[in-house]
Amino acid sequence: MVEEWHCSFAGLIVEEGASAWQLRYAFYGEGAGSWVHVLVSAPLADKVFPSVVEWIHAADWHEREAEDMFGVRFEGHPHLGDFVLHDDVWQEGVEPMRHGFNAQAAMHNRRPNVDWRPRRIVQEPGAFIMPIGPKFSGITESVHFLLETVGEDVIRSSTRLFYKWRAVEKLAEGKTVEEGLLLAERFAATTAFAHGLAFCQGVESVCGVQVPPRARALRVLLAELERLRQHAGAIQEICESTALAVATSQAGLLEEELLRLSGELTGHRYLFGLLAPGGLLCDLPANACRGTLGRAQDILKRLNELERRLSVSSSFLDRIEDVGVIPAQTAKDYSLVGPVARASGLIRDLRRTLPYSGYAAFNFDVPSEREGDGYARLRMLFAESRQSVRIMEQVVTALTEGEVCRAVQYRSGAALGWAEAPRGATFHWVRLGEGGRIARYRIVTPSFTNWHSFHLAAEKFAFQDFPIILATFDLSVAENDR
Amino acid sequence: MMHSETLIIAFFAACGAGILLSLALRPGRQALVLTALGCLAAIAAVVAGTHVLLTGEVFTQPLWSLPGLTMLTLRVDPLSGAFVLVTGLVLFPASIYASGELRRQSFSGRERVFTVMLLALYASVGLILIAGDALLFLLAWEVMSILCYLLVVTSREGDNGQVGAGYLLLAMSEAGTVAAALGFLLLGLGASSLEFEAVKSSASALGSTARWGVFLLTFFGFGVKAGLVPVNSWLQRAYVGAPRAFAPVLAGVTLNVGLYGILRVNADLLPAAQMGTGLVTLVVGTISALLGILYATTDNDLKAMLAHSSIENVGIVVVGFGAGMVFVATNHPVLAGIAFVAALYHMLNHSLYKALLFFGVGAVETQTGTRDIDQLGGLIKWMPLTAFAFLIGTLSIAALPPFNGFVSEWLTLQVMLRSAELSSIGAKIVFALCGAGLALTAALAVTCFVKVFAMSFLGMRRLDGELRVTEAAPRTLASMAILAVLCFALGVLPTYVIPMLDPASTQLAGASASETLVPPFFASAQGHGALPAGFVGEFHDLGAQVGETVLPGRGLVVLHRGGTQNPVVFAMSTSYMLLVLTGLLVLTWVVIRLWLTRARRRLRRERWDGGVRQLLPEMTYTATGFSNPVRVIFDAIFRPTTVEDTRETVAEHFRIAIRREKEHVHLVDRLVFQPVRAAALWFARALAAMHHGRINAYVTYAFLALLIVFAVLPTS
Amino acid sequence: MSQWVFRGIRTGIRTTAYPRAAERAAGVTPGMPRGGDFGAAAPAIVARCLTGALDQAQGVISVDSRRCVHCYRCVRGIEQPLNWEPTYEWAAAAARPTQELGQPFRRSIHILVVDAGDCGACLNEVKQLNNPYYNMHRLGFFITPTPRHADVLLVVGPVTDQMRFALEKIHKAMPTPKRVIAVGACALSGGAFADSFVCANGVADVLPVDVAVPGNPPPPLAILHGLLVAVGRKASERLAPDEYQAAAQQ
Repeated sequence: MVEEWHCSFAGLIVEEGASAWQLRYAFYGEGAGSWVHVLVSAPLADKVFPSVVEWIHAADWHEREAEDMFGVRFEGHPHLGDFVLHDDVWQEGVEPMRHGFNAQAAMHNRRPNVDWRPRRIVQEPGAFIMPIGPKFSGITESVHFLLETVGEDVIRSSTRLFYKWRAVEKLAEGKTVEEGLLLAERFAATTAFAHGLAFCQGVESVCGVQVPPRARALRVLLAELERLRQHAGAIQEICESTALAVATSQAGLLEEELLRLSGELTGHRYLFGLLAPGGLLCDLPANACRGTLGRAQDILKRLNELERRLSVSSSFLDRIEDVGVIPAQTAKDYSLVGPVARASGLIRDLRRTLPYSGYAAFNFDVPSEREGDGYARLRMLFAESRQSVRIMEQVVTALTEGEVCRAVQYRSGAALGWAEAPRGATFHWVRLGEGGRIARYRIVTPSFTNWHSFHLAAEKFAFQDFPIILATFDLSVAENDR
Repeated sequence: MMHSETLIIAFFAACGAGILLSLALRPGRQALVLTALGCLAAIAAVVAGTHVLLTGEVFTQPLWSLPGLTMLTLRVDPLSGAFVLVTGLVLFPASIYASGELRRQSFSGRERVFTVMLLALYASVGLILIAGDALLFLLAWEVMSILCYLLVVTSREGDNGQVGAGYLLLAMSEAGTVAAALGFLLLGLGASSLEFEAVKSSASALGSTARWGVFLLTFFGFGVKAGLVPVNSWLQRAYVGAPRAFAPVLAGVTLNVGLYGILRVNADLLPAAQMGTGLVTLVVGTISALLGILYATTDNDLKAMLAHSSIENVGIVVVGFGAGMVFVATNHPVLAGIAFVAALYHMLNHSLYKALLFFGVGAVETQTGTRDIDQLGGLIKWMPLTAFAFLIGTLSIAALPPFNGFVSEWLTLQVMLRSAELSSIGAKIVFALCGAGLALTAALAVTCFVKVFAMSFLGMRRLDGELRVTEAAPRTLASMAILAVLCFALGVLPTYVIPMLDPASTQLAGASASETLVPPFFASAQGHGALPAGFVGEFHDLGAQVGETVLPGRGLVVLHRGGTQNPVVFAMSTSYMLLVLTGLLVLTWVVIRLWLTRARRRLRRERWDGGVRQLLPEMTYTATGFSNPVRVIFDAIFRPTTVEDTRETVAEHFRIAIRREKEHVHLVDRLVFQPVRAAALWFARALAAMHHGRINAYVTYAFLALLIVFAVLPTS
Repeated sequence: MSQWVFRGIRTGIRTTAYPRAAERAAGVTPGMPRGGDFGAAAPAIVARCLTGALDQAQGVISVDSRRCVHCYRCVRGIEQPLNWEPTYEWAAAAARPTQELGQPFRRSIHILVVDAGDCGACLNEVKQLNNPYYNMHRLGFFITPTPRHADVLLVVGPVTDQMRFALEKIHKAMPTPKRVIAVGACALSGGAFADSFVCANGVADVLPVDVAVPGNPPPPLAILHGLLVAVGRKASERLAPDEYQAAAQQ
């Protein structure tokens, strides 16, 4: 199916029913029409399932997370364990996502493995592991890299994530939809609006609510504004990693101006507190929207100029070209998403493939590159910024009057909500139970999908290239760890 | 006042008695014999050498004559005396260490054989150094070579390739001996007999081609034993294969014998008349030094690393020889004297600190069972005394003040700078390049030994946690302590060592170096008057007159007195350096502890490691990682070939192993040894083609030979 | 290369005048709700808050800024919205600072930023302090990568269970005198994740906190204010330790 219909693997959703497990493998793609869900059920007592990693490598981390969270074993998976729950903190068999999980008892009876050792893959005389993190230099998120090397080049890199695991999926169970929306916005707040949007769309699918057109259009405007701002931030990170100081400051100026623009338009720099199931929590006046558009166009002009200047800075290009290459086949195998995937030639954009919130009505291109190196990913950021402003122009010109929120009658059911976040495709599976409370909330984030392949990009390059490769991927640890 | 002959007799008597007692006593007692009589012999050697150097006495003793050939003679002159002194200084702690080693498992049953062979080696080395004619010299040389071979091959300390190494050692030794013998013959062509005195007087009449022939044959012939570059392939293998008790003697004593041979022929018997030979010596020395240290930096086997480092140090000594030969040829006797003093000093220092390092490595190997630096680490916690002594050895070999390596290497480099006084542009260029090469060597040496000490003794322990590591045996510690003290003393008091070595270099150069290097105090006006005013002023400014009435000897500053333009060409004082260094450290400590931080608490915290839950030994730098930049930069020399580079995956995407292995062949092996071996094998195969067992063919060969003989010989 | 120099010069100076003068540009702060007397409508308004930041006594609503996560539910979609103040000087210092940094640190300190599970927004706002608009270097604040050189530990995030050990280790590795600044609602009260079994209820559960900067996320100006309070260059309201601790432990 992956081959014939050119599908991508969206995620594995594990649900513990009353008497049976339900494993849902979700695929999406143009060839398939839209969605294909493959359901596997088994009685609760039987916790062993066959692994699909041989055919769908992208399912690797999903299976490992399911094993840690639910205790479900996947036969044929070569490396289960020590994923979300670090073995040197938790013993095996904790299963926090199970219904009967007792948090107090679990925290009290922990038996960490004091003999934990990192897996060593490189067998070369004199090889050692260079540990980076969890606290490493700069203003960085907490993540642990283990780079195996003999001194100059990184032979193999491995990433230890989930230091920032807050158990959002567990926390959401039993909460109201409003509290769930709060979690959706707050768990990865640099792209809060996109996640909130995906969640709301999921809830709206479950309850069969049609969002009014003005609300849909304004949602698009805000989502693109967020994309513009996040891309400016990513560009600033890339310039900072290569130590090109003036370009870093220029990009920093643009990011701050976009943050202030977002704050001026909506009251909050990161667009919190705007979404509600059924539309938006408040309306945005038309002249404010037009003013925002004007400022965004001006910022885009300066972004374009920055791109032009960077493209003629040979010392900058030396550091960013041909580093961290992800070939197209790897992108397919790992079902990568976002600018990272599109820079490697895997053209997937949910706004085009699975249009939501009225994106089908707007004209825009989906830029792509083929080299899959750092420079390609940088060019993607600039190209997508241009398309974002283009969409914003169309939204503002075609904005109609109307209500911005429709009342929602909560009912039981489950649905998938999705959005193309600035970092890539994000999928939120929402199951509502009694009284409109959340029974299961599964989040598949673009960072989770893309972190999976990061170790391949870092290999065979020198240590000095490592922070640059990391910056060009624009990955969020908070988004991955939830 | 002892005569030299008494001391020499004492030396040989001790060796002989030791051999007899070893044979007589039952196994298990040899350690005592070795300690007592070996040390006795060493002391005799030290006293003899010192005596000869101090008195400048030249002692000749004819033994018995071989009619038609030569009179076997013994001859002790200052040059021999210097080498005898060095030998004794190394043999003393080496005997102690070896006797400690004799008690180990690896020696059980063979102590007798080992002790006999070792003491016989002492005797043969002594004989080489005091031989007064070529024949005795070569005979003793042969005996020494064979004993070396036997001592290496009979090692039972695991499989270190000692059998192959032994064969190679023997083969190359023999080749070198043959070349040296040919050189002696060539040298003695016009002489009445092969005694050194006779050879020396007739040697000055040799023509240019003959001189070059003698030089090349003896330089590379004796260079085999010394470990010079084109002929050093045996050295790294033999040092690794040699038993721990013998390796220090191999590095500290037999190595010097090769240098003695070179010096004896090319500086004493046949002083250089043209610059050419000296320049060749310079270049060969520099290349040896560079290659030696490059391979030492990138090698992780402690013994092999020390072997390569020996090649480096021999290179530096030979550079000193070369400079001396050039200055002798261009008529700068004082500079030549300084050069030879520098070279002899470096040879002395190398013997001391190399033996010290070998003791340390032996201690590490016995305690931990491994010589691979990548598997060691953190040993200072369990072997603090060994670590301290090893540190002194490391600082000495890295030429850091106030230890002895600094003085000799500094002097050598200063001598190289004196090429300014030569007139030939070509010579100056060669000197400049070789000087730069030595500077690079010095920098790499620091890198190498920082790696060795830090990765073995500091950092986290990489050994298996079950293994109990304890301090080295008392005898090892004692032998290390002796040498450590000597290293320090020779570093801090160079002004006493140089006048001691001076007679040897005067014999070679024709002028005394210590007059200019360690000028005497002068208090009286007439002393002042005889010297240029500028010099007197600088002499006082440098503090060279400090301690005039109190200290014995000539003060604490080593300086080179120049002409009127440049009254003091260079100067230094490790004694003052030590005082200043200590003073600064104490002052800093006082200021910080008693003043700046008097009101502060001191907190002790774990090392910062990024916040990981546990820093593991595999997360720390390895020796391979540390020296990797050197390996990468000099890739053209190392030319590593990939033995394995495989990836093992499961389910197509999960890598479970990446195996990489590289190996490299030594540059000299690639360029010199392997082609020579290939040629020899080809030749042998060609000859073998003639031997197919058919008796008819052999008869034909004999007939052909007869025909040729009759054709060639004149019928008379 | 020269193109960058000219570009930089032509961009000119964009830095804010704060702390010399107040910064009034639009979008620099999300602002904070302000309590007031709402009479009978108070309980309904208080019920809107999802994190318990609002409390009412006889119709008078009080705002616990440490819990406010800027969900705007008390001002949007409601008939009687709360008042909103566009301020940013929110930092509060513990009543008895655990350690006085002292005069030498007034003009310049080195800050170590540790992410103990934050969502990314607080960290991003801290990063903005280095952009030309805020330029914290002119105020003597520098970021250091190692705790050995750090004077101030700036923590964001609710302190997840798996980062707890590292955070404690980092704090122990810092030499004295040192201060801890907790930035953001999560770091003060656990924020939206206070109920999670793997999140502590803020940094105060793990380390002694000297300065608290509420907000979700606090804008760069608020963080700057917090840093100025930490070195004693700005006054701030004081929290009694028990008042602060008790609030964090709910």
